Amino acid sequence: MIKVEGLTRVYGPFTAVDDVSFTAEAGKVTGFLGPNGAGKSTTMRIMVGLTNPTKGRATIDGSLYADLPNPGRHVGVLLDASAQHDGRTGREVLTLAAMTMGLPKSRVDEMLELVSLTPSEAKRRIKNYSLGMKQRLGIAHALIGDPKVLILDEPANGLDPAGIRWMRGLLKEYADRGGTVLLSSHLLHEVEQIADELILIGNGRIVAEGTKDTILAGQATGGQALVTSLDNEALTVALKAKGYSVEPVGTGMRVSAAPAEVGKAALEANVVLTDLRDGGAGLEDIFLQLTAETQRESTTQIHAEGVSA
Amino acid sequence: MSAVSVAPSTPLPTATKVPFGRLVMVEWRKMTDTRAGRVMLMITGGLIALVAGVILLVTALSDMAALDAYNWMSALSFPVSLLVPVLAIMIVTQEWGQRTHMVTFTLEPSRLKVVFAKLVAVFVLGIVTMAVAVGVGALGTVIGGAIAGTDPNWNVTGEALAWTLLTQILYLLMGFGFAMLLLNTPAALVIYYGYTLILEASVFSALYFVFDWAQSLFPWISMQVAMMPFIAGDQMEAAGVAVEDGALGYARLFTSIALWVGLPLVLGTMRVLKSELK
Repeated sequence: MIKVEGLTRVYGPFTAVDDVSFTAEAGKVTGFLGPNGAGKSTTMRIMVGLTNPTKGRATIDGSLYADLPNPGRHVGVLLDASAQHDGRTGREVLTLAAMTMGLPKSRVDEMLELVSLTPSEAKRRIKNYSLGMKQRLGIAHALIGDPKVLILDEPANGLDPAGIRWMRGLLKEYADRGGTVLLSSHLLHEVEQIADELILIGNGRIVAEGTKDTILAGQATGGQALVTSLDNEALTVALKAKGYSVEPVGTGMRVSAAPAEVGKAALEANVVLTDLRDGGAGLEDIFLQLTAETQRESTTQIHAEGVSA
Repeated sequence: MSAVSVAPSTPLPTATKVPFGRLVMVEWRKMTDTRAGRVMLMITGGLIALVAGVILLVTALSDMAALDAYNWMSALSFPVSLLVPVLAIMIVTQEWGQRTHMVTFTLEPSRLKVVFAKLVAVFVLGIVTMAVAVGVGALGTVIGGAIAGTDPNWNVTGEALAWTLLTQILYLLMGFGFAMLLLNTPAALVIYYGYTLILEASVFSALYFVFDWAQSLFPWISMQVAMMPFIAGDQMEAAGVAVEDGALGYARLFTSIALWVGLPLVLGTMRVLKSELK
């Protein structure tokens, strides 16, 4: 279990992590989600003692990371798959880890097999690795000590779709065995399917947390529809007469009403609909909305994308 | 995709604190497991062999008298001082340059322990290199004598050898200190070579015998000048310079060592202990 309590990290005038508290429970995969620069990596570095917090603390199964005897045997850490010596071979990187942790050499082969790095790939120097191969090696490095807790920063980065599916299965199995998994991502679809719990962070603050369903329920807005018709003007008049707000997007409109209400209005106004969909906020919309301040794109663009999708 | 399980096939040994000796072994291995590391060791060995080879060749081809042991020691000190501190610099700065420090310090959160393990590993390597140089020098004295047809001249006192080794060890520690302070390979190399090759080898030695103020200032700020009364007291006397090998001489020596070795080691260690690793 990872417990983060009131964690704050300030850099001069900039607050990278702002009073963050959450718990990543054993037996579950917890997704740590937020846009670039939201404070995910800083929070994770504080957990493993590479960065000192300004306030608050993070504990792993009740103790500070620095107090763990042989921490590699307790916590598997992957903060940056590229942070390996270019000139070492993949096998050598794992051998050094095994040596430090006091593990038998056979564990290196076991890990190479687990992450599907072939013996010839393992003999290559890291400078000749693709990002996906580095991620696999990083995951092997994190798992080699058979830890109880995994802390992975953007582990899916650079993996191909098959690799992402493989990692999903691996982490699921790991959590089912009672392990704690905390993995970060800036891509919702990467974590949506694997994480049991989600923690959404933006601008250094937690903006939402819980299961996917509780987050969606907490943000219910009373219905949104995306509609396109043969006579958008007439439909707009009819919808506005019913008191709904209408906003043109792409070739259609976004309406502040449930699709059934829009259908009724169209029937009454004798307008032929060519497209009618639920425009209600999905997890992605909520994610973008909640973290809007740190997004580099404006919300109008996001809506336009939502329609064309 | 692989259907191999995450769980270890055989139970792993129970987790105990990482023993210091194991950290030293790991750091030792890290010096030799990359091509860059092996090339550095080969250059070090090669340069020692080259210096010895050239001296013997010149002895054989000219009718020059064979070098005595003292000259051999001076000649071989040069490649050692040129390269051993570079190993001490690289064992630190490479971690930051390649960003492997994030891995190193998550596997052993006690940064001081890692710093000591690195120092011990590179210190042992430095001592081995110096021992090789001493051996080559002794062999060269014998072979040179045989080539020139003269008896080898063993004119190195234990004291002179000790001072030479001490100098090399101080240079190693200095390189290590500046590496921790700067955490950057080129910057640490510039400072180290700037000190040994420019300040010590030319500026201090050139100005020392010329200016009075230099004779009163330099012994405090130059390790080499501060050591002169202990190593080359006779030559100094011959040059008409006062030889301070008493309490004042030691005070000067310790001050210069504190300045160039102690201070960077202390400040550098503080930087490594306190800094954010990313």
